[in-house]
Amino acid sequence: MSLRQIRVPGRLDQIEVLCVAVDDCAREAGFDDRTRYACQLAVGEACENIVKHGYGPMRRGEILLVARASPGEIQLELRDSAPPFNPSSLPPDQPWTEDNPPVGGLGLQIMHRVMDEVSYRRRLGQNRLQMRKRLVRKPRRA
Amino acid sequence: MEEGMELNAHEYKRATILGVVGRVDSATWSELDSALQAIIDQGQKHIILDLAGVEFLSSSGLRVLVTTMKELRKVGGEMVLAAASDRASDSINIAGLDVLFRSFPSREEAIASF
Repeated sequence: MSLRQIRVPGRLDQIEVLCVAVDDCAREAGFDDRTRYACQLAVGEACENIVKHGYGPMRRGEILLVARASPGEIQLELRDSAPPFNPSSLPPDQPWTEDNPPVGGLGLQIMHRVMDEVSYRRRLGQNRLQMRKRLVRKPRRA
Repeated sequence: MEEGMELNAHEYKRATILGVVGRVDSATWSELDSALQAIIDQGQKHIILDLAGVEFLSSSGLRVLVTTMKELRKVGGEMVLAAASDRASDSINIAGLDVLFRSFPSREEAIASF
């Protein structure tokens, strides 16, 4: 298992740095291009929530990514010192029509659809969001 | 690391094509929004969004696509997608928004649809 920890200022223009790190982690785990991209997307959404809704325009803080890769699996943890916010619960599916499509909540939807597990805990004054993604193994032919 | 985002617009009689290259995310979405709004402000009701060069499309970018589509539909118009990259398509599909947009493999086919 490999472990990487990357700390960035909690700013929107720093999210890409963490996405690159997630891509590297997913590559080590053996994920294909599209799964790696999906993982980047999910982490990007989580980070955007931290910056925009957690810290907001008036607060300063950092985001720490702890990323672990093992064959076929990645475990990610995002830590921040913003006020408590738990995105591990999937927002209720709001029915929408083509005339009234969804505008909000897309980020959380994406995060939950991509990741196999999303959990949260508050510890030592930090939000800690954990996400896990596993490779889907193709069934063996008889 | 790649640079942000580039946009290029081409006006045709039937529609205006806006090509997007690079990352559409929380740092760049407002540029895309402004460009689309400028096209609408010029009176164009049909927009083709060429996503061939999109390397990253986050929910911020998806929100722009949705709000633009809503605005165009109010005036009897539409925005369609052309040549979407795998990454752009994946973002749209993961978000469940694929049912909202007509999508074509090329600009030419998108133009012909209007």
